[in-house]
Amino acid sequence: MKFTIYQESRPGKRPTNEDRIAYSYSRDALLMVVADGMGGHLHGEVAAQIAVQFITESFQREAHPQLKDPFLFLSAALTNAHHAILDYAADRLLPEAPRTTCVACIVQDSIAYWAHAGDSRLYALRGGRIIAQTRDHSRVQRMVEDGLITAEAAIHHPARNRIFSCLGGGNAPQIDFSKKTPLMTGDVILLCSDGVWGPLPADVIPRALSTGNVVQATPALLNQAEARGGDNADNLSMIAIRWEDNYAEDTLGSVSTKTMPVDSFTTQMEAFAKARKGAQPLPNLSDEDIERAIQEINSAIRKFSK
Amino acid sequence: MPPQTNVPLPPGYQLDEYRIERQLSLGGFSIVYLAFDKEDTPVAIKEYLPNSLALRSEGDALPSIAEENVATFRYGMKCFFEEGRALAKISHPNVVRVLNFFRANETVYMVMHYERGRTLQEHIQKHRGEIRESFIRAIFARLLNGLREVHTHKLLHLDIKPSNIYLRNDGQPVLIDFGAARQTLSTDTPLLKPMYTPGFAAPEQYNNARRELLGPWTDIYSVGASMYACMAAAAPQAADQRVERDQLAPAVKRWPEKYSRQMLETVDWCMRLNYLERPQSVFALQKALADKDRSVPRITFLGGLRKRVKSLIK
Ligand SMILES: Nc1ncnc2c1ncn2[C@@H]1O[C@H](COP(=O)(O)OP(=O)(O)OP(=O)(O)O)[C@@H](O)[C@H]1O
Ligand SMILES: [Mg+2]
Repeated sequence: MKFTIYQESRPGKRPTNEDRIAYSYSRDALLMVVADGMGGHLHGEVAAQIAVQFITESFQREAHPQLKDPFLFLSAALTNAHHAILDYAADRLLPEAPRTTCVACIVQDSIAYWAHAGDSRLYALRGGRIIAQTRDHSRVQRMVEDGLITAEAAIHHPARNRIFSCLGGGNAPQIDFSKKTPLMTGDVILLCSDGVWGPLPADVIPRALSTGNVVQATPALLNQAEARGGDNADNLSMIAIRWEDNYAEDTLGSVSTKTMPVDSFTTQMEAFAKARKGAQPLPNLSDEDIERAIQEINSAIRKFSK
Repeated sequence: MPPQTNVPLPPGYQLDEYRIERQLSLGGFSIVYLAFDKEDTPVAIKEYLPNSLALRSEGDALPSIAEENVATFRYGMKCFFEEGRALAKISHPNVVRVLNFFRANETVYMVMHYERGRTLQEHIQKHRGEIRESFIRAIFARLLNGLREVHTHKLLHLDIKPSNIYLRNDGQPVLIDFGAARQTLSTDTPLLKPMYTPGFAAPEQYNNARRELLGPWTDIYSVGASMYACMAAAAPQAADQRVERDQLAPAVKRWPEKYSRQMLETVDWCMRLNYLERPQSVFALQKALADKDRSVPRITFLGGLRKRVKSLIK
């Protein structure tokens, strides 16, 4: 597995950075996560931190060195991260659970898999063109896609920041999944928060990355978005990889995981906590045990019903 | 098609002898459906489907369970059976009635009498801070009839809280969700970790090693906390935190203008950290709720109390 990766997160013009980002890779699998804690809700950055940390820890527990089923992994990891946020809120008696968007991507065997809730985005780019992208869980964005309002009108729409799915909060998240997306040498995968894509015209991101030089293009895009964001520029975060595959030449700064031991991980994230130890083996419940339990219960029901 | 989280069985789906109408709720451990039986009688069906272990994709009936999760999935089933076993023995108007249990789609289902209404939790949200004393007295007095029946069968509910108290449209409260048995069974299996709400569990529930201290007073703590939540429109401070540093304002101090002193003292009485200082039986509490003029006993065990209670938890 070979790729070039770059990540950066900035507060923009906001007093705090409520975005959290991380990547982690084993010899044969790569994880990238972006979470954008929702301001206006208590502890937005806490929700983002829990999500990113939880998903990264799950990845490290399960990618040995590959994930059995990347979609199943994403589904469980995002759902459990959601519950971890609710637990956090309940433990501290917060009046409402904090919320965060989340987009997470797995690459293994040169196939990308991703899932998201909210309006943090993933773009898959090939030769400067978008080959796939997430659909925001935002009614305003859906109206743009359906041609009901213009992109220009969306920028000023009062509900532009409202999303209908996120981790944490009172409702179960709607999590959308990508198709299995095979990657070719030079393909770029980019994850970012709305502070990045929001201020930029639609064609800027694919064009900026058409060279595939993620190390240069990422900070350049952030500069541009931050400048366009003006005095109120939102938190900006982005992770981008260029997939090198086996055939690519050795690019400066690219990662080759070939020599990594099967059970080691490399992770980039602030304040990363140690993974917990695994569960104990459990006593087995056979089919006969199940049948017997059901029969017992049903005869108790009949015996006690009046 | 990649898996979606928690896809419920679709409306119209024929499940054993029942026809699914729609999903009523989706928990971390199970999905509850409204369905109709052969006579077109509505029933509530609870499907065992912990989303950390088993995922059903759109269009499928069978969940997919990763091979390494099969043992845990089956183990969790045991916990689901505990709920059925507990409910099967009880037939009381204030306790949800279980009607049938069956196996399908590689998992198990519990069929219950369908109750029309809403949870006390929803009621609290809707009437934030304007729930009257007469309502609280009436609802809890009746609910306690059901709880008494539970205790008579030597069972404890252990998860009483506003979202597990159902208010029927005819005004009768019904105790639902006897799923707490799994809390004890599953503490060592993180994938089955229940997503219960702290704030309602008694201090002695936080210590697995001291299960023998659980008793009617344990459910009574939760009843007190639920009454407190009616007044505060929020969950009270969790008992394990209270033991470390009790920041829960006594009801008597918080709402002297709004509720009678006797009502407030009754709530505080139920929520004493030391289980010996609470009402020791449902009947004792019912008497206090029924009679506004009955004075609430003030028992305090002095000396090393905090230490003693702490040792309950640690
Ligand atoms: N018998 C019933 N009649 C009508 N509605 C019901 C019934 N049982 C459950 N419900 C609805 O389903 C919701 C969830 O039920 P319950 O509390 O038993 O499960 P849960 O808390 O989601 O499950 P778990 O904790 O087992 O994951 C209730 O709040 C209620 O709205
Ligand atoms: Mg419940």
